[in-house]
Amino acid sequence: MKIAFIYGSPKAKYSASASLLQELKPLLEQDDIAISEYNFRKPLLNKEEIEQLINYDILVFAFPLYVDGIPSHLLNCLIQLESFFTSANKKDIKVYSIVNCGFYEGHQNKLAMEMMENWCSKAGLKWGQGLGIGGGGMMVMIKNVPMGQGPKKSLEEPFRQLANNILNGASGENIFVSPNIPRIFYKFAAEIGWRKSIKANGLKKKDLSARK
Amino acid sequence: MKLFICDLESKDFGKLIPDLPDDDKVILYDESIQHCIGCFGCWIKTPGACVIRDRYGDMGEYLSKSQEVIIISRCCYGGFSPFVKNILDRSIPYLHPDFVIKNGEMHHKRRYKNVIDLNVYFYGENITEKERQTAQKLVKANSVNLDCNIGRILFFKSIEEMEGQIL
Ligand SMILES: Cc1cc2nc3c(=O)[nH]c(=O)nc-3n(C[C@H](O)[C@H](O)[C@H](O)COP(=O)(O)O)c2cc1C
Repeated sequence: MKIAFIYGSPKAKYSASASLLQELKPLLEQDDIAISEYNFRKPLLNKEEIEQLINYDILVFAFPLYVDGIPSHLLNCLIQLESFFTSANKKDIKVYSIVNCGFYEGHQNKLAMEMMENWCSKAGLKWGQGLGIGGGGMMVMIKNVPMGQGPKKSLEEPFRQLANNILNGASGENIFVSPNIPRIFYKFAAEIGWRKSIKANGLKKKDLSARK
Repeated sequence: MKLFICDLESKDFGKLIPDLPDDDKVILYDESIQHCIGCFGCWIKTPGACVIRDRYGDMGEYLSKSQEVIIISRCCYGGFSPFVKNILDRSIPYLHPDFVIKNGEMHHKRRYKNVIDLNVYFYGENITEKERQTAQKLVKANSVNLDCNIGRILFFKSIEEMEGQIL
C-alpha cells in the first residue's frame, strides 16, 4: 500500500502539523507500507507532484487551522488537485486529515474537516477519517514527550484508531481531541510565550496591544 | 467605512456596485498577493501589522476602521475562495494574541473596539447543499472570532445573479 503524507503548514521548521505526522509514522510501519512525503508550502503545485499523487492509495494531509478553515496556499493546491483528479479516472484514493489549531478545543477544527470532506466529494475521492487536535501551540514543544503520556495522553487512542483505519483502508467517524492539560494552563503558558517572544524582538510587553 | 473583500475583477465589481462612496475601501482579485507564512510576526514583531509588506500588510488596520465588511467570494468546498481566504489569513493582526473564553471556548482578545457588521455573498455554479451548510457555519464561526455581527449570508449561482442584490 502506498501512502503520501502531505505537509500543509507553510512553516518549514517547527510546524505542529509536521510533528503530528511524525507521531503517526511509527504506527504505520509495516512491510507492505511505503510512505512518501510532500510539502505543500506554496500555493502552486508542479506538474510532476500532481501526477505522482494519483499513484497513491492513501493521502494523509496534516495542516493548521487558519481562520476556521484551510490555509489559503493549501486551498489553492486542493483546487489544482481537484481539477486533475476529476479528469483522471482513478477514484479509489482515500483521504485522511489531521488538522491542528491554536485554540485549546479540538472541535474548533470541525469546519476545516468538513471542507476537506467536501473537497473529496468534488474531486471524486473517498473520505477516510479526520482527526482534529486542539492546543497546537504547544505541539512542537512537547515533541519529545512519548505518545500517551502527560499532555499527549488524550492523543494516544485517537492516533491508534486513525492508524488502524489507514492500515485497513477503512473509514471512521471524525475525532476531535484537546490536549491532556487544563485549559487555564495552556492559556497561561501561551500568554507568557507571547510576552517572551515580543521582548526577544526588542519590544515591550505592552506593545502586544499596539494599535495602528 | 465599508470594506469590500472580493475575488472579482474590477469590471465585474463595477457592475455589482456602480456608485461607491469615496471613503469605502475595495479589495479586488490580485494574483500578486503573498500568502501568510504562519510566523505570528503580526503579533510579536510588528504588532498589528503583517510583516509581509505587499499591498495587504495593513488588513488589521483596515478592519479596525470599518463599520461594515462585505465579502464577495466564490464558495470553495464550503469556504471562501483562495484569494479571499488569503486576505482573511492576512487579517489576524486585527486580533490580540491573548485568549478569552467565550461560549465555553477559547478565542482571541480584541485589539480594537470597533464592532463590524459582516455580510457575505457566496457565488458558484455547483455549490452543494453540504457546502452551503458548511459555509453558513463558517461565517458564524468567523463572527465569533472577529467578535462581530452577521448581517446577510447569501448564495448565488453566478456573479451576474448578484447584480442589484448587494446592499
Ligand atoms: C493566519 C492564521 C490563522 C489562524 N486561525 C486559527 C483559528 O481560526 N483557530 C485556531 O484555533 N487557531 C488558529 N491559528 C493557529 C494555528 O492553527 C496554530 O498555531 C497551529 O498550531 C499551527 O500549526 P503549524 O505549526 O503546523 O503551522 C491560526 C494561525 C494563523 C497563522
